[in-house]
Amino acid sequence: MVNKWSAALANKPTVLYEKSLRSGQNINFDGNVVILGDVNPGAEIVAGGHILVMGSLRGLVHAGALGDEDATVTALHFAPTQLRIASHITRPPDGNVDEGAKPPEYARIQNDTVVIEEYQPPR
Amino acid sequence: MGKVIVVTSGKGGVGKTTTTANVGTALAMLGKKIVMVDTDIGLRNLDVVLGLENRIVYDLVDAVRGNCRLKQALIKDKRLENLYLLPAAQTKDKTSVTTDQMMELCSKLKEEFDFVVIDCPAGIEHGFKNAIAGAEEAVVVTTPEVSAVRDADRIIGLLEAAGITEPRLIINRIRTNMVKTGDMMGVDDILDILAVDLLGIVPDDDAIVISTNKGEPTVFDDNSRPGLAFRNIARRLNGDEVPLMNLEEKRSFFSRMKAMFKSE
Amino acid sequence: MGFTSMLGRFFGRDEESSLSKTMAKERLRLVLVHDRLDMSETMMEELRTDLIATIGKYMEIDQEALEVSLSRDDDGVALVANIPVKNVKRQVG
Repeated sequence: MVNKWSAALANKPTVLYEKSLRSGQNINFDGNVVILGDVNPGAEIVAGGHILVMGSLRGLVHAGALGDEDATVTALHFAPTQLRIASHITRPPDGNVDEGAKPPEYARIQNDTVVIEEYQPPR
Repeated sequence: MGKVIVVTSGKGGVGKTTTTANVGTALAMLGKKIVMVDTDIGLRNLDVVLGLENRIVYDLVDAVRGNCRLKQALIKDKRLENLYLLPAAQTKDKTSVTTDQMMELCSKLKEEFDFVVIDCPAGIEHGFKNAIAGAEEAVVVTTPEVSAVRDADRIIGLLEAAGITEPRLIINRIRTNMVKTGDMMGVDDILDILAVDLLGIVPDDDAIVISTNKGEPTVFDDNSRPGLAFRNIARRLNGDEVPLMNLEEKRSFFSRMKAMFKSE
Repeated sequence: MGFTSMLGRFFGRDEESSLSKTMAKERLRLVLVHDRLDMSETMMEELRTDLIATIGKYMEIDQEALEVSLSRDDDGVALVANIPVKNVKRQVG
């Protein structure tokens, strides 16, 4: 299995938000958050567990906000303004442009750094 | 001890944020230590114009409420060492800051910085009152349109009532060709009506759109006409005497000939 | 007619008064008179007091019945004062 989904986190409650999150809107939830839509620039998700965006992620997300380093962020189109997992904060390098269509990606903490790679379904 | 300047206009869309970004940056280019404060809570934009949106961790609301130390909320510019941004909150309620908190914030910031440049939200409500609360000087931005000049007049009245008695005017998006044909109010027409001191005029130019796209203030571009206008404005704010720039779209053949003869 | 406006006519250009910037300026003037009046309640009170003081030098007026107001219509704004005179002072000298 490529994706190591933490069992503890997977058992947490999950909210399903069935539309896009626009600038200025935010979701704060202790468990996992699934968005059936886009997360636009200026929108913000803070989750205790995983964050899954079934659309374009362009806003700010914070997974594992209570300190859980097993939390992950997955998006069909992965281009967040800023990405936080537990106490790690990352942002795209300067001059980085959104390159358009690309496969789904996901982010997690590996060896104390945030790693972003192509999403592979668990086998 | 630094100076607190608020950039305001009443009407939206006349270029307050662009002006704040460029004047703040140009003052920093003069070697001054600058902080720009975005007070448009819920509709922040200064971060995007400066290309700093992905560095925001804490914001104005966090800073005034003590969720973080003030220093933690200040974002250092990626180009200039002595330029900082205090971003507005995007997902918080606009009533989450009081005028007293703003005054306290401004007095703290001016101990540290030469200029505190405050970007004011459109309108005359809560956000406006907060933005001017700690300000000692005001820059009013308008464009040569009836609606914008009318709102500028209203703002000047409100500023005076609040004790900011000598606001200075920036006329943005002047189009020389239209002024010449009589289809746009010129500088004199507007000054005639508003009767305030002129701080500068900024020509309408595609360079602004391009610089906003890039998240890079146009004052960095030596060939940008609005960039030069903003650099001049910054020098005037800094106390230098700088003549108004020549707004000629392109120098005509005739005036170039004259210039050639003069140089001989 | 001035020479420039004659020239303007000659070249098919409109007179100053029909330029769109002139219209803008005129409309602004009018709208600002309205706007500025909205903010001047205290000024109206001061004007009332000053009027009483000035007119009081020449005639005796009914201060209670004195009315000062601004009337507006589409063409502009007028200051309207209704001042009942009780007695005119005798000329001195």
